Amino acid sequence: MDLYAVVFYAFAFITLAAGAIVVFSRNIVHAAFALLFAFFGVAGLYVLLMADFLAITQLLIYVGGILVLVLFGVMLTSNTIDVQMKTSTIQTFPAVLIVAALAGTLIGIFWSTDWKTTTDPPIQATAPKIGEMMLTSYLLPFEIASVVLLVALVGAAMIARREKKA
Amino acid sequence: MIEQILHSLSLFLPETTLTVFFCAAIIVGLVAGRTSRASLYVALIGIALATWFAIQQAGSSEGIFTGMVVVDPFATFFKLLIGMSAIVILLFSLYSAEVQSTAHRHIEYGSLLLAMTLGMFLMAGSTNLLMMVLAIELTSLSSYVLAGYTREATDSSEASLKYIIYGAVSTGLMLYGVSILFGLTGATDFYNINRALATGSVNATALLVATIMIVAGFGYKISAVPFHFWTPDVYEGAPVTITAFLSVASKAAGFALMMRFFKTCFIDANALGLPAGMWASLQGFEWNKLLAILSVLTMTLGNLVAVWQNNLKRLLAYSSIAHAGYMLMGVVVLSDKGLAAVLIYFIVYLFMNLGAFYVVMLVANKTGSEDIDTYKGLGYRSPLISVAMVVFFISLAGIPPTAGFIGKLFLFAALLDAKWIWLAVVGALNSVISLYYYVRVVRNMFLRDPERNAEPVVFSAPQVVIVLALLIPTILFGLFYSPIVELANASVVMFGMK
Amino acid sequence: MLEHYLPIFMMILGGVLFGIVMVKLNEWLGPRRPTEEKLTTYESGMEPVRTARERFSVKFYMVAVLFILFDIEVVFMYPWAVAFRELGIIGFVSMTVFILILLIGLFYVWRKGALEWD
Repeated sequence: MDLYAVVFYAFAFITLAAGAIVVFSRNIVHAAFALLFAFFGVAGLYVLLMADFLAITQLLIYVGGILVLVLFGVMLTSNTIDVQMKTSTIQTFPAVLIVAALAGTLIGIFWSTDWKTTTDPPIQATAPKIGEMMLTSYLLPFEIASVVLLVALVGAAMIARREKKA
Repeated sequence: MIEQILHSLSLFLPETTLTVFFCAAIIVGLVAGRTSRASLYVALIGIALATWFAIQQAGSSEGIFTGMVVVDPFATFFKLLIGMSAIVILLFSLYSAEVQSTAHRHIEYGSLLLAMTLGMFLMAGSTNLLMMVLAIELTSLSSYVLAGYTREATDSSEASLKYIIYGAVSTGLMLYGVSILFGLTGATDFYNINRALATGSVNATALLVATIMIVAGFGYKISAVPFHFWTPDVYEGAPVTITAFLSVASKAAGFALMMRFFKTCFIDANALGLPAGMWASLQGFEWNKLLAILSVLTMTLGNLVAVWQNNLKRLLAYSSIAHAGYMLMGVVVLSDKGLAAVLIYFIVYLFMNLGAFYVVMLVANKTGSEDIDTYKGLGYRSPLISVAMVVFFISLAGIPPTAGFIGKLFLFAALLDAKWIWLAVVGALNSVISLYYYVRVVRNMFLRDPERNAEPVVFSAPQVVIVLALLIPTILFGLFYSPIVELANASVVMFGMK
Repeated sequence: MLEHYLPIFMMILGGVLFGIVMVKLNEWLGPRRPTEEKLTTYESGMEPVRTARERFSVKFYMVAVLFILFDIEVVFMYPWAVAFRELGIIGFVSMTVFILILLIGLFYVWRKGALEWD
């Protein structure tokens, strides 16, 4: 097993183990912190795939942003004084059945499919290439992304802001 | 490159207009002050202008922005449909008690309606997986917020929350499907996906799983069973204007994107020996059977559950699920005729469904209730509105001489033409069931006595004008249907397809 | 390729180890003579009266959302910045439009008072 494989399995293990804690933990704060390691593991996998810009984005946005938002969300909602959060599992049997079937199908597909792969050598620094594509071939999605962000901003402000009495 | 972008921009005028007015609605609303209606008017002008520009594009057929979106008769048709319903919704909003009582949030209402319309325009023209997902997200994000617009009402917040949760799950599934499809074909462009699939070297099971996941995203937008769970609660909780918009425009955009996706990606372009106007699915991948199952489930469940509803908004929600099922039949048959039938159905559906929702809104404005008991004896309290409601309902049920009959007629004709007899039978049986719950409301209006001290309900002149503007086409297109049939036949042409 | 990331890996390892070692060292070397007074929560010398786990104000959430949205904007700027010279005028104009649209968002939250704390 070469170094690459070792690093891959290490990151994969971190991601999966942290993901399992997120799902199975009864304590919502533990789950949120475990998510940190899951995101971190995914960033590591991106590095292994030579997607350096994606890895940085993963760290900046997911670890630095989304996770903070999730933690705020936890602290906003979990009122330990009078609200009991329901974290029990119901309908275990049908859920296990469906999940097993789904997982079986997906793993089967990933195993047997002849995926489209490229023979191009990996790009050393992806950011300039991404910048070039984003502002030429993918110009429209790039601009529409700003509209989506603006809508998210307006929507979030409308939902979250406390109304001043008129 | 610059010339290319400038050329694309010239064909992107409707969407650019919407973006500019979206920004303008925010700025004007902020400058004009808290209780100004300015944003609503900006939205109205912006959408009207964009629709006008879209009509100007009739006849052009071209891919723009390096193939991200196309401008073709098919997209133009849906832009016209979406634009028209957005204009009608804004007119509704000017007379809606729910919207007018929240004057301090008109900026958000106007601007988000513009953003949602922009998202749907993009959905109508997307030919790239990336653009497709982005357009769906833009539409969904705006509609989540608008569904929870009347924040003071608990059911509105509940509607918004349920919508977001179901939306997030189905978008997640769709993205998963999209990534599998990309892994199989190495392309995000619809035409390149088709070319990659046509080589026949793609794993069929993987393709099926990817397609099912992508259909989850479409099914959510058009509220097809089993992705419909959000529909009744959101339709009930959201302001009536938004409910009407979701039931017509959002569904139309979802159908437009779905039909384009299936036709450009999964049709065998080199199939030989087919009659004119018929298509063939790619070898070994009969996705239309998948849609046939979805269609049967959707219309049957929608109609059976609608029978038990006592809230008019919930009743119309299940009825709109059922209508999605009928329209799916038109996609199943794999022919231009089927596609044209869906387009005809949508024109008709626009008038009759918006009309039905508008009457529900007017009655709720006056009585504060959407319960079926409120409609007892309404025929004596407000004859004109009640007669209009009857026409909208018998049109929704598909009885001649209304436009709804024409819509169903062309759908069933396309089905029989393509030898989908069993599906046509299921559809016909469903129409019979639907008759029951539509007639139940009509019976309440005319055959039940009003409450003792009930006074006549009077509506203002502009409100009556809007009702008539929706009522007259509903009857007229039932009698003189050749213009809409011609429009639909001319609009089935997609860019780059035979 | 992977060896380029060795410094980062060393950095992460060093950071984690430093944190663990310092805390454990403190625990191990420091004297511990707990009394009841010492074990109570420090509340500026006052008797603690309520639980510390109170609900946060929704205002924090608004700040976090604003942070993420502008964070994403900055991430979009990075690839543009490194390819700025090659992209020329197209890149400049496109990025200006992108930033202008988001500036309207900033204007909106400002005027709506979402940036003010009370």
